[in-house]
Amino acid sequence: MTLPGNEAELLTRVVSGDRAAFDTVMRIHEDRVFSVCLRVLGDRERALDATQDTFLTVFRKAGQFQGRSALGTWIYRIAVNTCYDHLRRARRRASLPLPDHVDPADPSAEDAIESAAPRPEIQVALALLPPDFRDAVILSDLEGLSMPEAAEVLGVPIGTVKSRVFRGRRLLAQHLGNQNHP
Amino acid sequence: MHEHDLDLIAALADGSLDDESEARLLIDTCEVCGSEYRSQTQVLAWLAAAPGVDMTELEKAALHRDLWTELRSEPSKAGATPWWQTWSYVAAGLFVLVGLVAVLNGPLGSGGQAGETLAVSSDLDAPAVEEAAPFDADESGSGEDSQAGAPTTTAAERALDLPFAELAEEARNAREAEPNMGTMSLDGEVEDCLARLGLEDQVVVDELELDQTYLVVMTEDPELDRSVTFVTLTDCEIVHVDR
Repeated sequence: MTLPGNEAELLTRVVSGDRAAFDTVMRIHEDRVFSVCLRVLGDRERALDATQDTFLTVFRKAGQFQGRSALGTWIYRIAVNTCYDHLRRARRRASLPLPDHVDPADPSAEDAIESAAPRPEIQVALALLPPDFRDAVILSDLEGLSMPEAAEVLGVPIGTVKSRVFRGRRLLAQHLGNQNHP
Repeated sequence: MHEHDLDLIAALADGSLDDESEARLLIDTCEVCGSEYRSQTQVLAWLAAAPGVDMTELEKAALHRDLWTELRSEPSKAGATPWWQTWSYVAAGLFVLVGLVAVLNGPLGSGGQAGETLAVSSDLDAPAVEEAAPFDADESGSGEDSQAGAPTTTAAERALDLPFAELAEEARNAREAEPNMGTMSLDGEVEDCLARLGLEDQVVVDELELDQTYLVVMTEDPELDRSVTFVTLTDCEIVHVDR
C-alpha cells in the first residue's frame, strides 16, 4: 500500500481526528509492528496484544511526533517499548513459548502458526540472547533497519547498536551451531 | 580477538563497507578474525532464510476490531488544537496562577505540590492530551491515566515537572551499586502498588525524596534488564523509566 500523501500530512490528519488516516497508518505498518513484537515476545497472543497497544499509543501520541525520524522508525520505537512493558508484566511467567504451543480449542490458531511461524530454532536461539543483543539483532538483521534507525528505535548510540549486533550474532552462532550440530 | 576490529568484521559480514580491502586483509591474516567473520556470515544466512512473520487475515480482523472498539471509547480528536497550542495555554494558565498564588500566599494556602497548582489550568487543555509520561520516557504501555473522573491534572502535565536530572543521577547510582545492597523490605501498601503496576517481581532498591517520594525499582538481574523504574506512592504510578 502506498502513502496517499506524505507522513507529516497523515499524522496531521490523525491528530485532527481523522480516523481514516489512522487506519491508513495502521495498515501500512501493522505487519512490521507485529513482526518485531512476535520476535521480541516469542508468542503470537502477546504479540497481537502488544501490536494493539502499540497502535493505541500511536493514536494517542500522534501529536508528539515531530518528524525528526521517519514515521516507521518512531512507530518501531513505540512497539519495542510496548514489548518491554509486556515483558516486565509477564516476567513471572514461564519461558517464552515456542510457536508450536497451540490452544487446541482454537483450530484456526494452529493453521495460523503453521503457516506464518518463525523457524523454531531461530526463535529459541533469539530467546536465549540477552535482551539488548536480541533486540539489536532483530531490528538490524531481521527487520532490516539500518544501524542509525536501530539506534533511534533503541535509544542508544550507533556504536552501541553495532557492538550489540556483533555480539548477538556471535552468541546466535553458538546457539544455532549447537542446535544444528549437536 | 582484537576488540577494535569488531565493527569492521561485522560490517564486512553484512556488506555495509564501501571499501572491503582492509577488512579482507584482516580476515585473511588473522585466524580469529577469519573465524569470527565466517560465524557472522553463517548467522546472517540463517536469519535471511527465516520466513517473514505476518498476521493471518483472521488475526488482522481481530486486531482491527479490538483496536477500534478501544478507540471508540477515546474522546474525539476532531477539531483538537495542536499540541504546541495546548501547551501554550497551559503555560499561560500557569503564569496567571503562579501570579495569583504569589499575591495570595499565606494562610489561604499557597501552591502545594505542582500537581495541585496545575489543577485550575487543566480545564484549558484539549481532551486529546491525556497521556502518561512523554514519549522519551518510554511509558508507551501505561494506560492508567485515561479514565473517566480522572485527576484534576493530566499525567503529561505532571511529567513536565519531574526532576529528570535527579532521577537520571539516581538511576546511574542504582546501577553502579553492589547487587546485594539496598533491597528494601516492603509494607503492604507498597507491595499492592507494585503488584498493580506489574512490578511485583522487581525489587525496591531505594526511596528517593525530592519534590515527592519516589520508589526506585529495578529487576533482580540488572545484567539482563538495566531499566530503573520510578514509582510515586501517592498515586501508585510509574512516572519515569530510565534505561
